[in-house]
Amino acid sequence: MSANGSVPALKIEALSKRYGEFLAVDDISLRVEAGDFFGFLGPNGAGKTTTINAIVGLASITRGSIEVFGHDNVRDWRTSRTLIGLAPQEYNFDRYLSIRDILIYQAGYYGLRPREVRARADELLERFGLTSKAKETFVKLSGGMKRRLTLARALIHQPRLLILDEPTAGVDVELRIELWALLRELNAGGTTIILTTHYLEEAESLCRNIAIIGNGRIAAMGPTEELVTQHGPATLSVTVDRAVETLAPALAARGARRDGDPRTLYFDGLSPAQIAPTLAEIEAAGYAVENLEFRRANLQDVFLELVRR
Amino acid sequence: MNRTEATAVWGFGNPVGLGTLVKRELVRTLKVINQVIWPPIITTVLYVLIFGLSIGSRIPQIQGVSYAAYLVPGLIMLQVIDATYSEVSSSIFQGRFMNSIQEMLIAPMSAVEMVLGYVIAAVLRGLLIASLVLMVGALLVHTLPRNWPLYLLVTVLVATLFCSLGIIFGLLAEKFDHIAVLTTFVITPLVFVGGVFTTMRFMPPLIREVSLANPMFYMVDALRFAFTGTGDVPLAVSLGTVSALTVIALAVALRMTALGVKLRV
Repeated sequence: MSANGSVPALKIEALSKRYGEFLAVDDISLRVEAGDFFGFLGPNGAGKTTTINAIVGLASITRGSIEVFGHDNVRDWRTSRTLIGLAPQEYNFDRYLSIRDILIYQAGYYGLRPREVRARADELLERFGLTSKAKETFVKLSGGMKRRLTLARALIHQPRLLILDEPTAGVDVELRIELWALLRELNAGGTTIILTTHYLEEAESLCRNIAIIGNGRIAAMGPTEELVTQHGPATLSVTVDRAVETLAPALAARGARRDGDPRTLYFDGLSPAQIAPTLAEIEAAGYAVENLEFRRANLQDVFLELVRR
Repeated sequence: MNRTEATAVWGFGNPVGLGTLVKRELVRTLKVINQVIWPPIITTVLYVLIFGLSIGSRIPQIQGVSYAAYLVPGLIMLQVIDATYSEVSSSIFQGRFMNSIQEMLIAPMSAVEMVLGYVIAAVLRGLLIASLVLMVGALLVHTLPRNWPLYLLVTVLVATLFCSLGIIFGLLAEKFDHIAVLTTFVITPLVFVGGVFTTMRFMPPLIREVSLANPMFYMVDALRFAFTGTGDVPLAVSLGTVSALTVIALAVALRMTALGVKLRV
């Protein structure tokens, strides 16, 4: 969280949201820098969508404050809302309008006249492969097209902060990769992106920074790389040609341990650079290496470790 | 209530957004044109033919006009009320049910702009329906308003009133069925006993007293004043009642939208 002096795209301070007796969001604070690609992870019911609803104005705030590029989303709600584009998880298109009009009317609600946005609407339809369906209503679209339309609609008023709630839920592998490419391209173009996802590989592959939320509280937050190395160390496992009776002192010093199979040695917390010297020591101790596996921790390990707590 | 006003939503700063909502509502009306245009025409023709011209020919003049001509203002109210209430309530209910209303809720639109958008669209729809019924009346029984400004004023007020009620019940309804409750059990019976078909002077004294508590009576009476120049109660009373009801319903609709009742969680 480098406070580099510039105005953050999103600043949440001590946000709480209560529904009757249920505290859905419990004192969350976070900061998303302008230009970031930020992942918001957590199990179902953790408070992700509630937090997003509070940011975009679909949920009232019980306590705390939210600023979008320095604009308080209650006091300065018009500016704040204009800066955000939301791609919600559930399809919520106007079924009385054509695909093209869905974009033009959405821009209208943002205060943009049709003649100002027609060209941009056509451009977005083209870019998202929807031009051939421009005159249809959304019920005629395939699942993948509906997902792309959600994204196109969120972008029609050129928001600086794009919020995506589960953008690839129920989407096939091919389209997911296509959407990832689109999102990377948008982010490279300067749009700050916040996404929630169930697919941890998605967050690991796309997001530079991550917050993990559980039971309405932030369990961990930081750069994706750091979270992964900090919470889940890498493991090297080496299988040798015969059972290891006694550990040579050099191997013991590297933290070798045995676990079940007498022919396999495990080394925890090794960096990739330490692999070659370790293998050399094994051979120096008189064993021949038959197989080896280096497994880096991934976000899933981190997630499970934090959420199980 | 542990609810803060979802956003400070009383401003007026997004006229394009407001215009977009008006257009959207009118597009929606055009998509369901068979439910909007033909029923009032056909119903009116049937009422005028059966009640007005056949049965009514045996009834003496009321307020200086034939019974058929006497019917027309009441029929206009009947249709305007139905068209505005049912269209607005179902538009809002569908928007909530399918979440498409969120397209507006996440945009920089205030409660005033949203409510005004629905009201303007409802007034335009109401004026259209009123002119259709009026045309039927002009063709079949040669009756037209004598006081056009009053005719327009009452139509606009009633359309605004029932648009506001449409917003209120469109927000409160948990299922589509709930919307019909008001139409079936309140609006239709009150309109029918509210002087659409007969003057209070023909009614027994007791019912005459009860009628004074029926808000629909004042709407019909005020509009009929624009046609006949006379009414069962003074114009100031009928017009005042209609205006007061409109202001109250509009204020409730605005307040509910600003609080985000069943719109924002």
